[in-house]
Amino acid sequence: MIVDAVTARWAGALYGLAAKQGVLSTVVADVERLGVEFARPEVRRVLQNPRIDAATRRGAVAACLRGAHVLTQNFVGLALDRGREEVLVGLSAAFRRRILLDAGQVEGFVETARPIDPADLARVASDFGRLLGQKLILKNRVVPELIGGARVIAGNRMLDGSVSGRLEGLRRRLQEVQLPG
Amino acid sequence: MELRPAEVTSILEKEIEKYKGETSMQSIGTVLSVGDGVARVYGLDDCVMNELLEFPNGVRGVALNLEEDNVGCVLLGDATKVKEGDTVRSTGRVISVPTGDKLLGRVVNGLGDPIDGKGTLGTTESDLRPIESPAPSVVEREPVKEPLQTGIKAIDAMIPIGRGQRELIIGDRQTGKTALCIDTIINQKTTAGGDPKDPEQVICIYVAVGQKQSTIVDVQRRLEKAGAMPYTIIVAASANDEASLQYLACYAGVAMGERFRDEGRHVVIFYDDLYKQALAYRQVMLLLRRPPGREAFPGDVFNLHSRLLERAAKISRDAPKINPRYKKGGGSITALPIVETQEGDVAAYIPTNVISITDGQIFLESALFNAGIRPAVNAGISVSRVGGSAQISAMKKIAGGLRLGLASYRALAAFAQFGSDLDKATQQELTRGERLTEILKQGQYVPMPVEQQILIIYVANAGRLDDVPARRVPEVEKAYLRAMGEQHPEVAEEIKKTKNVSDAGRAAMDKVIAAVKIQLNTTPSKTAAKA
Ligand SMILES: Nc1ncnc2c1ncn2[C@@H]1O[C@H](COP(=O)(O)OP(=O)(O)OP(=O)(O)O)[C@@H](O)[C@H]1O
Ligand SMILES: [Mg+2]
Repeated sequence: MIVDAVTARWAGALYGLAAKQGVLSTVVADVERLGVEFARPEVRRVLQNPRIDAATRRGAVAACLRGAHVLTQNFVGLALDRGREEVLVGLSAAFRRRILLDAGQVEGFVETARPIDPADLARVASDFGRLLGQKLILKNRVVPELIGGARVIAGNRMLDGSVSGRLEGLRRRLQEVQLPG
Repeated sequence: MELRPAEVTSILEKEIEKYKGETSMQSIGTVLSVGDGVARVYGLDDCVMNELLEFPNGVRGVALNLEEDNVGCVLLGDATKVKEGDTVRSTGRVISVPTGDKLLGRVVNGLGDPIDGKGTLGTTESDLRPIESPAPSVVEREPVKEPLQTGIKAIDAMIPIGRGQRELIIGDRQTGKTALCIDTIINQKTTAGGDPKDPEQVICIYVAVGQKQSTIVDVQRRLEKAGAMPYTIIVAASANDEASLQYLACYAGVAMGERFRDEGRHVVIFYDDLYKQALAYRQVMLLLRRPPGREAFPGDVFNLHSRLLERAAKISRDAPKINPRYKKGGGSITALPIVETQEGDVAAYIPTNVISITDGQIFLESALFNAGIRPAVNAGISVSRVGGSAQISAMKKIAGGLRLGLASYRALAAFAQFGSDLDKATQQELTRGERLTEILKQGQYVPMPVEQQILIIYVANAGRLDDVPARRVPEVEKAYLRAMGEQHPEVAEEIKKTKNVSDAGRAAMDKVIAAVKIQLNTTPSKTAAKA
């Protein structure tokens, strides 16, 4: 999921503050719960419709906030005051990324033409992780167009070892080669 | 192009055999938005400025705006094939163009791809050079001192251009700016007979930015007809090319020139024109949402031109010892940028920028052009800051004071229209100025070798034509030059060899002009008697 710079900055502020006050686990739990709530279509509609006024919006969110830590409550209130509803929508994704980053981990995919077994997945994760200097959390995704081999995508990096990728590379090479004449 | 199947197959076999398909780590991104020929891409963490990017379906792009969470890039191909969510790969290569001998005689676009229908260039990967490269440093340069002969009397005599200089050609539309370029290119044939292999031959690069296709075709045909294409490269980004290609074409052109310069060759490059290039740059930057400044140009439009023109230089003989980039010292790139003005307004943003960067300017004026004074050079405000050191000594001696004399004549002529009672000295100056103006007129596609220029400017400047009616001056000039060639070829030869005119040479010229005047019966008293 794409996390834009603004959301990353807002989420970073909440994360840092929670960590400083030693309430990180509480806030993380809050954010995770909010993520589920805000993903619900009826909540999202309220948040993203510009015609709904601020008071209604705050009312709709108040229900989700019950029982949350005061930092989380303040954060949501501030975001609504500043008209940064998109930050709330992207908050849980940004938080996840931040948590992974702190733990030196990245999420990614191994794309293969056919499903691979968990042992292979773990091996790819550890090999590729060493290359990146990070711990990889990989999921398998089946993409039949790859024909064979595997393609690893982690963050904004890709290692293409698939048959279709090699064919594409060869095609490009042949297009660039200069013919005599 | 002739395709030989066997060779093609064998090449393919070789390529396939040695193809390793190495799986290297690539930086990837996702297209966030696309439109108007620009795309915003999320990701691409270690993308560098001007890096070539690969979009799906063979579309390429160039990264121009690196922001915190996205990269703004221009697309160099069919933008309709790119859609939101597409994966973009970085290539690790900044945008490069092919260079070298194989480009001579060819017409290529801003990416160096041939567009003249004469087949591939036949260059290899090692011929590629990035289009942006640092300008030569101070220690690698030397002062401009060798002349670059344009073959145009008004310029070589009054506003001499030296190799390695940057001289602006500025004027309204349809004032003969392009014509000056073409004639200068044709005249470079005199440096070594047009043989591109000869190290003395000056290489010409004509960069056409935002021009009509028909104009570009016309230039190419003219050069072909004059036998000037073998030592010329045309880099064309016409008005219907993407704006990004239009502004990049200038850098592509100078990158091609630098290859020759680094091999010790002399290059002259024409940017026709930088105003249109700035417009193209403005368009791209506004689409990329760079904040607009004066006249809506982005803040770095000065740098756009200064970094381009700084790459023109005369390289010192010792440069290879300082920087291994130079295979041979002594090469040069002379830049002749063109700027089109609107209604003669040279104080507008782009003209003042480029004037401040260049080492002088040649002003072409609509009023002169329409009055039949072509090339329409305004001698009063045209200058070359390199000046006489870029002239051979014969020309320096003979044409000294010509520019100022002509300028004061033009001012006088404007006043003289109001009154008839002029003193003798003024009348004399008017007569001389009128003859000089006639002499400096020159048709298109007939550049004149410098020694011939000296022959005719000498007689005009020494007042030998004062008694010839102005309208008969061209006729006398022609007959005189022919007679000099027939009776005293040694004078031109001497100038060519020693770069000087001896007293004997002057005497020969005086003698021949006197004879020609009698022969053509041009002295006013006789003409009047006849009438
Ligand atoms: N020395 C000359 N003698 C006669 N005609 C000339 C001369 N120089 C240019 N012309 C003519 O003037 C016209 C305009 O010339 P040219 O295209 O070089 O001008 P320009 O300033 O480049 O124009 P544009 O603004 O369209 O690019 C052309 O038709 C050309 O043939
Ligand atoms: Mg023109």
